[in-house]
Amino acid sequence: MAEVVFDEASRIYTPGATPAVDKLSLTVNDGELVVLVGPSGSGKSTALRMLAGLEPIDAGHLRIDGRDVVDVASKDRDIAMVFQSYALYPSKTVRDNMAFPLKMRGMDKAEQTKRVNEAAEILGLTEYLDRKPKALSGGQRQRVAMGRAIVREPRVFLMDEPLSNLDAKMRVQTRAQIAGLQNRLDVTTVYVTHDQVEAMTMGDRVAVLRDGKLQQYATPSELYDRPVNAFVAGFIGSPAMNLMDLRRSGDGVSLGGSTVPLTREVADAAGSAETVTVGVRPEDLSLTSDGDGIKAVVDVVEELGSESYLYAHMAEHPDTTLVVRGPGRTSVRYGETIGVRVDPDAIHAFDASSGERLAA
Amino acid sequence: MTSTLERPPAPSGPPPAPGQTPTRSARAEGWVRRAPLLPALVFTIIVTQIPFLLTIFYSLQSWNLVRPGSQQFVWFDNYVSVFQDSQFRGVALNTVIMTLGSVLIAVVLGLVLALLLNRHFIGRGIVRTLLVTPFLITPVAAALLWKTTLLDPTYGLINFVLSPFGVGEEAWISDFPLASVMVALIWQWTPFMMLLLLAGLQSMPTDQIEAARMDGAGAWAIFRELTLPHLRRFIELGTVLGAIYLVNTFDAVYMITQGGPGTASANLPFYIYQRAFLGFDIGQSAAMGVVVVVMTIIVATFALRLVFRSFGAAEGSN
Ligand SMILES: Nc1ncnc2c1ncn2[C@@H]1O[C@H](COP(=O)(O)OP(=O)(O)OP(=O)(O)O)[C@@H](O)[C@H]1O
Ligand SMILES: [Mg+2]
Repeated sequence: MAEVVFDEASRIYTPGATPAVDKLSLTVNDGELVVLVGPSGSGKSTALRMLAGLEPIDAGHLRIDGRDVVDVASKDRDIAMVFQSYALYPSKTVRDNMAFPLKMRGMDKAEQTKRVNEAAEILGLTEYLDRKPKALSGGQRQRVAMGRAIVREPRVFLMDEPLSNLDAKMRVQTRAQIAGLQNRLDVTTVYVTHDQVEAMTMGDRVAVLRDGKLQQYATPSELYDRPVNAFVAGFIGSPAMNLMDLRRSGDGVSLGGSTVPLTREVADAAGSAETVTVGVRPEDLSLTSDGDGIKAVVDVVEELGSESYLYAHMAEHPDTTLVVRGPGRTSVRYGETIGVRVDPDAIHAFDASSGERLAA
Repeated sequence: MTSTLERPPAPSGPPPAPGQTPTRSARAEGWVRRAPLLPALVFTIIVTQIPFLLTIFYSLQSWNLVRPGSQQFVWFDNYVSVFQDSQFRGVALNTVIMTLGSVLIAVVLGLVLALLLNRHFIGRGIVRTLLVTPFLITPVAAALLWKTTLLDPTYGLINFVLSPFGVGEEAWISDFPLASVMVALIWQWTPFMMLLLLAGLQSMPTDQIEAARMDGAGAWAIFRELTLPHLRRFIELGTVLGAIYLVNTFDAVYMITQGGPGTASANLPFYIYQRAFLGFDIGQSAAMGVVVVVMTIIVATFALRLVFRSFGAAEGSN
């Protein structure tokens, strides 16, 4: 049970180089599950390790329950972490692995056994308690690592890409299990992933990082509906949002020969800029039945059963590509020309040079 | 050893050519693979096995070079007297103390040094090189160094350094002969253990240590619960290799104490040498040699099996 506050916390590995984590400010409420997401090298792991006490905090503050922990050793922070590699102790049995944090806290044997058995029950590990980690499958090891984290009821859970070594199906299953477990235990959790689907499905709130800087910290739906800049817009959502640098024409922007209107606020915010970065999600583009609208040539058709995605390029500007969501059973084939219509209310507009969102 | 040579040829060769029985071609295949090893094998047999057979033959005879014409076949009399020889038993005990004592102390010291060298500090490279040097010195030279430069009662540096504390006149070598030899051996073998254990320490995954720190373990708990179990196989390997090497120690004993006073610091190789080349008792010393070889093989087999088992088992974990 704890509230975690990053207050302009930075980590600079090599003096003079760009910080791995740059003035991160972030509040994780008690019992909340916050996901840190971002591309590789964006500083997610570093931020997590700063909270764990495994990396020093070079500038700024980090508070857990109001107490500044910058100078507190990790063993005194009462934080549990699930490592990407699981970091199980190879010479100990599953039981001893899970009991280790309890033993280190000097808990008595009977209580240790009780807690380990409970955790093993929850995680379905009871029959493996006497095995060594090397005799377990990847998914079982992952659960042992989880077990070792939950037995001691820490104030904060940290997880660094705990699912990345599992196959796709296990990942979806375990994702739901972890979210359910977190809900039930109600422990403040910080979860790192590079997978935006994981971030969107698991997080109460999601923090998007890029090059060590926090881009946006919001609920999944807000990230999806109102990305603060072009980077977040392109990162969140699958397939990614279509982002195009378009020329202004009158009140709107010109796209494939027709003009897409911009709202009053966006047009005002854009000022006199000649081009605007326009973002449209694939589901906000629709196929016209009569081939009207923007003309595009289909490159790839991805049929997923319930829907399909058409990857196309504009007939007049072959450099501009588009992804359009179509119906589950589509008759469109490679090389065909389709007509696409944009829903003007669903347009996201960003400054062409800074990438910042135009208008609130 | 020989058992690997007797193993039947592996049935993994290419499919047999038409017109040949599979077994014959597999056998030929096996010989093709073995042939390049044959010269080395023949040489090894000539220089080790033939002398050993000769030694067994000598050990069954009463034969003292000082009494020409006394040579006669006496079956196992020599072995009986070897086991009744209280000096032989004393020397055997010395050998055990010298071998195990030196190896174990060298392992402990090597572990301490390896733990120190596994940390970052200024000048680590130089310190590491300095610590390795004793292992690079010829054993005879090292023994001589200890005897004359360090432990000598009159000119020795040890007495010089200790003189302010009132221990200036100690005759180390005659008062503590076995310990003096062991000190020289430990000094030479600590670097070996240190290097081996350092390699072990550096192969330890850092995430386990980080996980333990988060689990609330302090430095001592991490060492006891994680580092030591991880190092176990390295310690076993170092102990076995060191013991196999040190059980044969001759140079240090010969140079520092000549086994004396009496047989107080003699070990088996030196005692056998004394009996054969100073006492000229070929039959007796050959019997002792055979006893020592047999015992060494028994101990070494178990020790090597232990090491192979723990390394073999560890392979599966990573
Ligand atoms: N020990 C280190 N020394 C120097 N630079 C480091 C160190 N560890 C990480 N970095 C740098 O810090 C930046 C952030 O690394 P970090 O591991 O936090 O990325 P990440 O977001 O976790 O990426 P990934 O998704 O690939 O795990 C990277 O540019 C990386 O090169
Ligand atoms: Mg990472």
